[in-house]
Amino acid sequence: MTATLLPGAPAPTEAPAPGRRRSGPRSGRDLTLVATVVVVAVVLVAIVGLPLLRILLAAFSEEGWGIVSSMLTDPVNRRILWNTVQLGVIVSLVGTLVGFVMAYAQVRLDFRGKRIMHLIALMPIVSPPFAVATAAITLFGRNGIVSSDLLGLGVDIYGLGGLVLVLSMSFFPVAYMNLKGMLESLDPSLDEAAALLGASKGKVFRTVTLPMLVPGIAGSVLLLFVESIADLANPLVLGGDYTVLASRAYLAVTGEYNVAGGAAYSLVLLVPALSVFLVQRYWVGRQNVVSVTGKPSGTPELVRTPALRIPILTAAVLVCLLVVTMYSTVVVGGFVKIFGVNNEFTLSHYRFVLAGIGSDAMFTTTLLALVATPLAGILGMLIAWLVVRKLRRTSGLMDFVGMLGLSVPGTVLGIGYAIAFNTPTVFANRQWFPAVAGGSAIFGGAMAIVMVFVARSLPSGQRSGISALQQINPAIDEASTSLGADSLTTFRKVTLPLIRPALLSGLTYAFARSMTTLSPIVFITTPQTKIMTSQILAEVDAGRFGNAFAYCAILIVIVLSVIGLLNLALLHPSLRGVNRR
Amino acid sequence: MSRPRLATCLLAVPIGMAGLAGCAVDDTASGGSGQGSGTVVIACTPQEEQCQAMAAAFTKSSGIKATYVRMSSGEGVARLDSAKSKPEFDVLYGGPSDGHVAAAKAGLTEKYVSPEAAKIPDEYKAADGTWTGTYVGALGFCSNKDVLAELGVDAPTSWQDLLDPKLRKNVAIAHPSTSGTSYTAVWTQMVLNGMDEAKTFDYLAKLHQNVLQYSKSGSAPGQMAGRGEVAVGIVFSHDCVKYQKEGFDMLENTFPSEGTGYEVGAVSLVKNGPNAENGKKFIDWTLTPEHQDIGPTVGSFQIPTNPDAKVTEEMVKLDEVNLVDYDAEAAGERKKEITAKFDAEVAPQPKE
Repeated sequence: MTATLLPGAPAPTEAPAPGRRRSGPRSGRDLTLVATVVVVAVVLVAIVGLPLLRILLAAFSEEGWGIVSSMLTDPVNRRILWNTVQLGVIVSLVGTLVGFVMAYAQVRLDFRGKRIMHLIALMPIVSPPFAVATAAITLFGRNGIVSSDLLGLGVDIYGLGGLVLVLSMSFFPVAYMNLKGMLESLDPSLDEAAALLGASKGKVFRTVTLPMLVPGIAGSVLLLFVESIADLANPLVLGGDYTVLASRAYLAVTGEYNVAGGAAYSLVLLVPALSVFLVQRYWVGRQNVVSVTGKPSGTPELVRTPALRIPILTAAVLVCLLVVTMYSTVVVGGFVKIFGVNNEFTLSHYRFVLAGIGSDAMFTTTLLALVATPLAGILGMLIAWLVVRKLRRTSGLMDFVGMLGLSVPGTVLGIGYAIAFNTPTVFANRQWFPAVAGGSAIFGGAMAIVMVFVARSLPSGQRSGISALQQINPAIDEASTSLGADSLTTFRKVTLPLIRPALLSGLTYAFARSMTTLSPIVFITTPQTKIMTSQILAEVDAGRFGNAFAYCAILIVIVLSVIGLLNLALLHPSLRGVNRR
Repeated sequence: MSRPRLATCLLAVPIGMAGLAGCAVDDTASGGSGQGSGTVVIACTPQEEQCQAMAAAFTKSSGIKATYVRMSSGEGVARLDSAKSKPEFDVLYGGPSDGHVAAAKAGLTEKYVSPEAAKIPDEYKAADGTWTGTYVGALGFCSNKDVLAELGVDAPTSWQDLLDPKLRKNVAIAHPSTSGTSYTAVWTQMVLNGMDEAKTFDYLAKLHQNVLQYSKSGSAPGQMAGRGEVAVGIVFSHDCVKYQKEGFDMLENTFPSEGTGYEVGAVSLVKNGPNAENGKKFIDWTLTPEHQDIGPTVGSFQIPTNPDAKVTEEMVKLDEVNLVDYDAEAAGERKKEITAKFDAEVAPQPKE
């Protein structure tokens, strides 16, 4: 779901041309810039810095440290750690492979229905995390419609196998989007040159195309690794006896309110997540030189060799079929009594959701996501602008902190919020923030939820903002400045209009992400603010799949309609343009 | 010209936030004492339908707006713990009394003897007034006849039957740290093993080999059995009846011959809850037949504790089931310790 986290964006630190800007006037003249930096920094500290600090403190408490230090010595904890890493590695490889096949088919093969395939591949981005898992149990479970009724197999979906299937299905769009953008921007003249020199299509693919894609593939693998080790919903629903760090931390907090334990498992989860993120940003990012040199000089020649075309197309179509089957299950499952057991038509699930608790949650969730979306979009653009154009030594730091909301596993963020914001923030005997999370906090805890939404969704806007800004000649900014506009005016009147597509994609993903995020939310929902994803978790866990399907379908409809409206409003050709540079 | 203005605006944001901080504290501080009439917030542990119907009925009869969050009982107690300094709930409703004992012991709930409690038999309420029972349920095995037939196993009639290797990965039970149902099963083993913790954990470790997955909520295993994901779910028998009524007609409920555990679904008052008076009114109401007759209308067939409430034929007849001598006080006292041990030693073990 982090599709715009483009590995293609080079490290922002190297962006400003030296000597372009005088450092002199920064002190007093451009007060707005200072103010902007202060505001952005304060907001970032509030939405990610503080929760992380508190979780670190809890993890390094005596009890927490006991668990952290037993990670490698205690056999049970060692297994949990190993499970987590194993799952991450497998899913990142499988998911990237699937994403690559889909992207390759999309960009390089000639067939009808490309647009549909593109939309199918994006489906998992706009759907809540359980849609796939629940559908997978219904279809491929012990008593599943496909596995048992059609094929008569006794497959066991609970555990590693099922998790790999479901997580790869959920996360391959991330790889797909990254690799598609990359394939599109590859200079086809290199392929042509190789072909002219007599290389076969297969050889061109192996020796020219593939090596140029290595950074993109590595980036996707790393991203998927982080996403899959951080996932909470699926291990809870079909983990079987396969315990991972995220589900372990969740149980420690929700079952026993063992905050030190939760924080300790979080810390262990945080280390690989953050290091992978750093590698991805500063190593893979640097490797990637090909795709930013400029627009492709021509349209790539489509591959027609049957030896390449047929297997790839077959695989892509199979993936699409799987996605379609899963989502059809969600749709149909909402309208039958117990899908696969009692297929009688009923509206009771929709009635349950729409007439009861669901309507409340639907309204609240949509409202809060709508509040968070513009905040995240603007904040993301502001950070991008500061990072690329204004800050120098601190730009790397600000970029890093801005990305934390996404690179930190949701479970960790949620537990951090619960620790940091359930009580007023007091430092040096002064209260800095009131309690913002929990039912007794201001706005019934809604503020914390908006903060989480912003923290989780601003990085995608920030990423696309940064890569968009790097395409724009800073001379335009300078012209505005030398005509007397201050920094903020320049940002509003010059920069923002130029990066509108990036803003749009930032907003789109911010909304989708806010609506579908679960792992940080489960820790901070309150009686007053019910959030759809956590309600769906309750339905899935209690086994009321019909209700869960109805919920998922409604959520998907809300996300799609808002994205549609957003795109209409900003007059931009929908999701398709998102990844274009 | 616009520069200073913009700067001021921007700088005003953090200052504004600080201001908001100040106001908000005053708000909530005065809100706590001044409210009194409007709402009651319930941590509700039975199934969603029951919570929904109950909240609506209470609002209708009292004019007090009832909001609830459906949680498993272990989760509910953990939630109370997390917001101890500033409680968000007024009442902890439902779930085995063990959980209420644990909550009281942790100082999360407080004593409240409702005037209506006089009607409730002594075995269904706490001697010290910390909790009062509103329903009773007995643990059973909820089995899927079709799956059992496929596996060639009879419906289990003893705890030992669950260890049958043929039932490998075909039993479901919730996680005792989140689910009161599951903790009732764990404590039942303690009782059956003469309070020998080692023997109990030996049994649980063996059972673990047959357990497919520990769910969060106690009733979920019944659904898993209904969908044929497992052969047997260990749940309160009223949940099994509910699922049968909902269309899982292949489900069959049996009881272990050695003796089974039972729950007194209790209600207790959260300490320093934001709407304590309404919380008390709500508790009074839950002990009346008006509340206790709601269950059967939404498919929840727990036995009411008020002798005046209706007993329907779907409800389990406690005198026909072999019940263990279940001491909820003792169970509650040791809940935290035993679930932590289960969590560390049993749940994450691999299956051989």
